[in-house]
Amino acid sequence: MEEYVGELWHKLVTRVADKQHVGAAVSLDEISKTAAIFFRALGGDAGLNLSAAPSTRHGARRGWRDRLASSGERVELSWRDGETLRLPEKIDLFTERSLNRDLYLWLVALSAADVNDSLPWIVRNQTATLATLARFPGLGSRYNRLVDALLPLRTLPSKLPSDEAAQELAIRQALQQPGSIHTLPLSKKPFQPVPLWTHPSPPVSVSNKVSTSDGAPEREQSDDKNVAKSRRKHAAERTDMPDGKDGFLMMFRAESLFSWTEYINVNRPQDEEDDIESAALAAEDMDSMTVARDGETTVAKLRFDLDLPAAGEDDAPLGEGISLPEWDYKKQVMQPDYCRLQECISPQAQPCELPPHLRRTARRLRSQFQALAPTRTWLKGQQDGEEIDLDAWVRQEADLLSGAHADSRGMYRAQVNQQRDLACLLLADLSLSTDAYASDHARVIDVIRDSLFLFSEALSATGDRFAMYGFSSLKRGNVRFNRLKSFDDRYDGLARGRIQAIKPGYYTRMGAAIRQASALLAAQPQRQRLLLLLTDGKPNDLDRYEGRYGIEDTRMALHQARQLGLRPFCVTIDNEANEYLPHLFGVGGFAVIRKPEDLPKELPLLYAQMTR
Amino acid sequence: MENLPFYQSQGSEIELFERAWRNNLPLLIKGPTGCGKTRFVAHMAAKLNLPLYTVACHDDLTAADLVGRHLIVDGQTVWSDGPLTRAVREGGICYLDEVVEARKDTTVVLHPLADDRRILPIDRTGEILAAPPSFMLVVSYNPGYQNFLKGMKPSTRQRFISLAFDFPSAAREEAILIGETGVDEMLAKRLVSIANAFRALRDHDLEEVASTRLLVYAATLIKDGCEPTLACQAALVETLTDDPETAVALREVIDATFGL
Repeated sequence: MEEYVGELWHKLVTRVADKQHVGAAVSLDEISKTAAIFFRALGGDAGLNLSAAPSTRHGARRGWRDRLASSGERVELSWRDGETLRLPEKIDLFTERSLNRDLYLWLVALSAADVNDSLPWIVRNQTATLATLARFPGLGSRYNRLVDALLPLRTLPSKLPSDEAAQELAIRQALQQPGSIHTLPLSKKPFQPVPLWTHPSPPVSVSNKVSTSDGAPEREQSDDKNVAKSRRKHAAERTDMPDGKDGFLMMFRAESLFSWTEYINVNRPQDEEDDIESAALAAEDMDSMTVARDGETTVAKLRFDLDLPAAGEDDAPLGEGISLPEWDYKKQVMQPDYCRLQECISPQAQPCELPPHLRRTARRLRSQFQALAPTRTWLKGQQDGEEIDLDAWVRQEADLLSGAHADSRGMYRAQVNQQRDLACLLLADLSLSTDAYASDHARVIDVIRDSLFLFSEALSATGDRFAMYGFSSLKRGNVRFNRLKSFDDRYDGLARGRIQAIKPGYYTRMGAAIRQASALLAAQPQRQRLLLLLTDGKPNDLDRYEGRYGIEDTRMALHQARQLGLRPFCVTIDNEANEYLPHLFGVGGFAVIRKPEDLPKELPLLYAQMTR
Repeated sequence: MENLPFYQSQGSEIELFERAWRNNLPLLIKGPTGCGKTRFVAHMAAKLNLPLYTVACHDDLTAADLVGRHLIVDGQTVWSDGPLTRAVREGGICYLDEVVEARKDTTVVLHPLADDRRILPIDRTGEILAAPPSFMLVVSYNPGYQNFLKGMKPSTRQRFISLAFDFPSAAREEAILIGETGVDEMLAKRLVSIANAFRALRDHDLEEVASTRLLVYAATLIKDGCEPTLACQAALVETLTDDPETAVALREVIDATFGL
């Protein structure tokens, strides 16, 4: 009961105090791409990434309604540091949507200006404003509109004590006539935040500045940085939360009870799972946000929790992981940076020859596939060409002499290169289900291994560019993308060794693997690009990636692949595949191999049919 | 010399071209699209008073397209010179635009012309043409197109002296806009400022950046009375990107320059 009344009260007072205009709000998500390009076009550092700024306490005087609802004491301001341009997560300051949007673009333009960071805040912002307006005079009218709209929202100087009033007057003048104020008068209370300017003391650079200026020992400095980092982390967590509204409610209630971090752990969006599950999820959440920065402790914990192989036994990671989005069909939204995919390579693979039992088939396939290799031919009877087609000409002359009707066919010969302008990426499912026995003496993984061998033999005979990857996953934080042969690798003993070394493990998060494969394939210059998926079952993973969710995400990934101009095709040995594959690949976009042991022989033939 | 095509010099390229021509050296010009390569060659041909044969190279360009072929005319076969042969006979400039687009085997016919032999053997007729001193071979290509399949054979490439072009400096580019279209200086400044903002997006958001040629288009539209933001949208934004969100951002840059 107490809680219920409390909630009602909260709703009431926040509504009364809420100066923001929800209907006119512009969120960073909807404008981020435009803003990023705008930033770079205006000369901003292309290496910076854009993210939402965490709100910070401003400490300035608030109205009685705000104090009653304990709202309005935090504000999201923008700032820029060495890595990131931070913008408010959403702007709903003005009643007009266009003004809110203008404010975003203004903040971007202001951040792109190259201003000496050591200048005092008020001078720095005026200098940046002047520089921006000088370079882009068209922004002038927009800036004036923003200032005109902002001033009525600020507390009038006449209602403030004298020291704060002087400060407010200076800020107002600096806004209206940038460049006219050189110092900010001091006052007891901090000034009201200025949304048109950058953050007066951004959390990150403050900590850095403090530690460098007072010459603190290195140790302390690193501590300071950690503080900054953890702050950054929370910012990331916060933006990642889909259920922002509840989060906001919680934030208010929790604020006086818990610290910021504790609050995050309590209010994770996926709370349905049981305890162990959610603990792992928490680790995972943290992993996806912070592993790169916060170092070993989280990683070690994660490994323990999720039972991944020890570092020595595991495949060697290649580069940093890649963040990939995932489609949530229930909400119909693409969840950005939802999965973490790690490309890896088997370190133990030794160069090897083709296994003896495949040699005979391989030899036959090679000779068959050599016929597909590009050849140069002369075409006869062309309208245009390098040489005269004497046969055609003689025939026409004879026809003319004999009085027959002369058809005007081409009388030239042209040489053409019948080039196969083709690239193919084969993506093999290496999930644990491939450990099952496909026939009396072979597991699915063995069949897949043989298929990969024969497929490579056949393709290296045609000269088509091809790459081969395997994939498996353990929840969204660990999508493993196993490189067997990249487009640039030669098909040699080492590539064969990597194929030999494939082993089953984990689950099938198909969407993420397809997205990464699409990106690799789309970078190839060939005109025809084939994405060949080799699998034994439906997409599934330990978390909610199963059933419809997994299917829909895979479908979306395939849809995106088609939009990139790729041609996806699926070869499966799952006898129930007809239930879901048409939905994913469309009619004629897949083949079901009834007898798994036939797969190695069938796969190259399917390829030949598809690319003829 | 009244018809000399307008060309704003960027450095020592005119002097270098003349030296190459006097000393019978073939020339390779590389640079992004629309930066003035073709205009430069046209300008030099007019300046040196030489006939200019321009061939736009493409995948299907064969050696016969350059050298010539037999045609059937009234029941007889007649040899017809290609542009390269004609340029050699007349002692003019043969300009092969985007030479990497041509098949590698096609460019091999250039080899005897592009070294000190300076001959063009026509194997179909058995004729061997010796190039007169005034003949000059000029090829160009755009290194920005990362075409892995194509690319010049080193044996072809090493027969040329090379000249690299890039977009002109802001002041020169303004002069070009004024010289080409007669727009006022203020407008030229703004257009160049937009172009340089877009050029900062190269490789990140845009595959190709705004060329001087596109700026001239935009300036021409504005000179004709078109509203500046509309002209820039037609000549720059929609030409450079198909992505709606990128287009919005580019329009913002234009609005930021011209005002609302």
